[in-house]
Order: sequence, then C-alpha cells, then structure tokens
Amino acid sequence: MEDLLNEVVPQEDLERFEKKYHHELELDGEVTTDTKFEYAFCLVRSRYTNDIRKGIMILEELARTHPDGRRDYIYYLAFGNARIKEYTSGLKYCRAFLDIESNDQVRSLEEYIKKEIDKEVAKGMAVAGGAALVLGGILGLGIAMARNKQKREK
Amino acid sequence: MADRAIKLLVIGESGVGKSSLIHRFVENKFDENHDVTIGMDFKSKVMNVDGIDYKVALWDTAGAERFRSLTPSFYRKALGAIVVYDISNRDSLVKLEAWLAELDSYSDNPNIAIIVVGNKIDQERVVDREEGRKFARKHRALFIETSAKCDQFVSDVFQDVVEKIVSSEYFNNGNSSGGLDIASNRDLEASASTCYC
Repeated sequence: MEDLLNEVVPQEDLERFEKKYHHELELDGEVTTDTKFEYAFCLVRSRYTNDIRKGIMILEELARTHPDGRRDYIYYLAFGNARIKEYTSGLKYCRAFLDIESNDQVRSLEEYIKKEIDKEVAKGMAVAGGAALVLGGILGLGIAMARNKQKREK
Repeated sequence: MADRAIKLLVIGESGVGKSSLIHRFVENKFDENHDVTIGMDFKSKVMNVDGIDYKVALWDTAGAERFRSLTPSFYRKALGAIVVYDISNRDSLVKLEAWLAELDSYSDNPNIAIIVVGNKIDQERVVDREEGRKFARKHRALFIETSAKCDQFVSDVFQDVVEKIVSSEYFNNGNSSGGLDIASNRDLEASASTCYC
C-alpha cells in the first residue's frame, strides 16, 4: 500500500489535465465529468498538500453529482485523505465503500490507515509520557531548589 | 537489493483476469467474484532467478475505459509488460492491438519485454491457441496460456518475463537464451486446456 501512496503523478500529466480542465471551463463555462475526474485523479497523487486538497474537493463534488462513478470517487477520496494523513476522513470513506461492496484494494487501504492511526496513538502516548517525565523533572528540581533555599535561610 | 528491482505492468481489457493472475501469483488465491480494479493497484514479490533475488513490482492497471487516458503514466520505467486476453472472448484479443500500440507510444523503454497471456483455459475456448501465438510472434512477444482459477502456468508467466528481462542487457548478465528457450519449450507441452477444480 505504501508504494502505491508514495507514487507521485508526473508533472506533465498534472499539467496536461489541468490545462484540459481550464480549457473546458473557459470555452464552455463548465467542465465534463470525465475531465473533472482526470484532473482530480492527478491532483490527489500530487506531492503537494494543496493540490491533494483541491483534488478531494473535486471528488467530493463528483460523488454528489455523478452516482455512476461513485466507487471510483470514494476510493480516491480515501486515497487522497490517506496521503495527507487525514486518517479519520480516509477511514470514513473506506467504510462507506466497504458497506456497499467488498473490495481488496479498499480493504488494504483501510488496514494501512488503521495501522497509521495506531502508530499516531502510540506516538502521542510516548510524547505524553515524555512530557510527564519532563514535568516530573522540573517539579523535582523545584522542590530540590526550594529545600536548598530553606537550608540556606536557616 | 534496490538495484535489483523490476517493474512489470499488467494490461488488457476489463475482465480478462489481470488482477486474478497477480492474486494467484502473489497470494496463491483465487476469488470467483473479483471486483473491478479501480485505477491502479500494486503488489510486489521477491523472485529468485539463478540464485539472485529480484524485487518484482507488479502494477495492475484498470481495464475500464475511464482510466484509459490516465494509466499511461504508469508505463514509464517498466521493464516488462504482461498483456492479457481471455481465450473465451475473441474481442479481448482483437483489442490487444490497441493496448500494444498504447504501450509502444507511452513506454520509455524500447526493449521492454512483453508476454502475451491467454487466460481462462478452464473456460470454453473461442480463440485458438495458434491464433494467440501468432499474435504474440507478430509483436515479438513471449506467449503462454493460463488459468488463474485452476492455477495453471500462472507462475510461468512471471518467471518467463522476468528471466527474459534478467538475461537482457539491462542487467548485463549476458546469457541471452534462457528466458526464450524455456518459454518455447513450455508452449509445446502446455496443450492441456481442461482442468478439474
């Protein structure tokens, strides 16, 4: 799964479909579903978070307006969210998908996201534990200093 | 290990069994109701050829029409292509002509190793073995018939194409006969087209 998430869209692909998207927008005032999807498919595989977010927005709109392609949109919504580490949203889309149909690709994405969430929880606990240690140290030092002061005052 | 990486593509019409071949090869499983692949999928497996381990990256592409314009960027840096049709569906072989043209125009490797695979030999045959072989010969590709369902000759697909890549100049191993000879020998004995499972 990681290899798939780490695969970055070639710049020329992104540019080509971006051009097509804007060309349609300028010429016809609207963009076809296919072009929107092509552009979003490139955006969610970009190395930049802002691109991915833009791709997610387009896919969200497509999922609302074009039910025929919904499984593709939901999968790439989960995919894009996983790439920007929005794991809660990613997981939500995986579950929405798996409620409708079973699918190996989505299942392995779900497993990956769950693992990453577990890792973050573990990291969070380590940080909290570390903070407690530091706090304990400061407290200890404070007490020691206070005692020292008392001693000196005597 | 990193420089012993081989990228393989799997292409062909929707429903011919691309994902099933990979699934059988990597996990030795078969799922009767395999879902339609969305966009791309990726699996990897370490293969040993002549005592050397190669990390084989398998890029499974969606056969569905809407991804046709989107998948060519995955053709880059591929050392081999597994081109699949369904022997119970003539149209899937006819359409391979277009897939190969696409491969030709988007691949950045002129020496890409190609294997044509006629899958589903467990089903009633519509396309003659000879027809598939002729098609492969025309495109200078290896050829094999398989059944992902009954696990017939599936690992040979990957073995043959990887051996061809390994013996080519890319890995500077000289020994250029290996892959091809093995493939043509197997062709002769692999005539059985029924299986019981």
